[in-house]
Amino acid sequence: MRGQGIRFGQVAASLGGVLLIWWAVTAWGGVNPVLVPGPAVVWAAAVELWADGTMGSDLRVSLGRAAVGFGIGSVLGVLVGLLTARTRILGAAVTPVLTLLRPIPAIALVPLAIVWFGIGEGSKWFVISYTVFLAVWLNTHHGAAHVAGTYIRASRSLGAGRLREFFEVVVPAAAPHIVAGLRMGAALAFLSLVAAELTGASAGIGFRIQEARQFMQTEVMFVNLILLGVLGALLDALFVALANRLVHWEQL
Amino acid sequence: MAGLVECSGTAIRFKARGGGWTEALAATDLRLAPGSFTALIGPSGCGKSTLLNAIAGFVPLAGGGVAVDGAQVTGPSPEVGVVFQQYALFPWFTARGNVEFALRRLGLPRAERQARAEASLAEVGLHGRGGAWPGQLSGGMKQRVALARTLAAQPKVLLMDEPFGALDAQTRATMHELLLGVWERRRTTVLFVTHDVDEALTLADRIHVMASGPGRIIETIELGDRAARQGLDYLANRNRIIGLLRHARPHGDET
Ligand SMILES: Nc1ncnc2c1ncn2[C@@H]1O[C@H](COP(=O)(O)OP(=O)(O)O)[C@@H](O)[C@H]1O
Ligand SMILES: [Mg+2]
Repeated sequence: MRGQGIRFGQVAASLGGVLLIWWAVTAWGGVNPVLVPGPAVVWAAAVELWADGTMGSDLRVSLGRAAVGFGIGSVLGVLVGLLTARTRILGAAVTPVLTLLRPIPAIALVPLAIVWFGIGEGSKWFVISYTVFLAVWLNTHHGAAHVAGTYIRASRSLGAGRLREFFEVVVPAAAPHIVAGLRMGAALAFLSLVAAELTGASAGIGFRIQEARQFMQTEVMFVNLILLGVLGALLDALFVALANRLVHWEQL
Repeated sequence: MAGLVECSGTAIRFKARGGGWTEALAATDLRLAPGSFTALIGPSGCGKSTLLNAIAGFVPLAGGGVAVDGAQVTGPSPEVGVVFQQYALFPWFTARGNVEFALRRLGLPRAERQARAEASLAEVGLHGRGGAWPGQLSGGMKQRVALARTLAAQPKVLLMDEPFGALDAQTRATMHELLLGVWERRRTTVLFVTHDVDEALTLADRIHVMASGPGRIIETIELGDRAARQGLDYLANRNRIIGLLRHARPHGDET
């Protein structure tokens, strides 16, 4: 496909450009290599982290946490969103509550998470699932609260009961918004991963970045930051591909 | 199978912006005889949709009542089918899936439900197109699916709100033929809202002309026996309706 070829070319050119500038700046010698390591040093660090198994276990631990947090947050978000959108009393409470909760960043929840859940996996799951939940709830609520009136009218005049109206009309009509919320939630699960791993961890990508700071291993930080970026981008691409199949009548 | 619609003193008002009420429909009497084909014509905003929605059970009444075969309308029901201008097809179902949605309440076995849906699609000229998604269909095709879906529920009354308003002239003419064919076969009572004089004259036995401020019926034109309709009558009726519509328009609005 021509369009995808162009896009691939663009991505390659833009990443190649950044790599070239990075290399040029570090090779020129004007910056302290301890603060900004060059591409070759970072690559070597990546190979080493991979070879000694650190990267593998960090990936497994972090992806596991993100997956559990995403799972809990998205299931609750969809359920609560559908509930608040379709019940008038609860719906009235949504906007004030959300307005209050939304400005609170994930990292601000870390102390509370530790007090509530200790420094085990529970506190990580809590931080991640909370941020995912908010995004999924908001989008689900919006989608299910604004189902086109003609869909509801059509459904009722075709003799569908309230239950069928909910599952065969409201939920699919809201599905594009729900999926958009899940996509945002997947991205947020990654963003809050680093915050979550501040709650005392012994492995994980976020933890590794923290640990590297104590030993001034900027190249390890770079490896893991790049890893976060690449994983997040891949995950999003995968999500969009899946979503466009699932909600085929509306392209994401 | 009857399909008698009686509106008596049916009135509807909406909350106006900035308090107060807009009288969308003044107390209106309307009788649709079983098996009749009635058109409702009037300038935009005169309350055509409001009257149709009242019969469909979509909007609460401010006064009067609506009865279908003697039973008061209290909400939407499959006895009163509606075809919307914006099709209102569910894009997450295929064409057949949309028709099956209307059949589901009958509790038929799956195979029979599918067969009935296909038959319904065939009736509107979509034989074998059941697998298509609404998004893949043209406007005319979508409206055929919507008609098949509504007919599948076996309504006694068919309400159509400017159903062909978004179609080009050619497609519209085809849809007129199709609709008249369906109506002649089924003899469902039809109420057809339009703002196109020729469309009303082509389809209906009787035309109610509406005016706004407040919405009301100002004149009723009987077109008489279809077979005996003469070109001269057509022109006379056309001129009469156009004259009425000119006066029905609020002052200063010439669009
Ligand atoms: N849901 C609504 N809320 C408030 N006003 C409405 C609503 N629906 C219709 N109206 C008003 O009622 C009048 C009649 O509208 P409508 O029946 O849609 O006209 P028509 O179908 O003839 O174009 C208009 O003035 C319109 O603005
Ligand atoms: Mg209208």
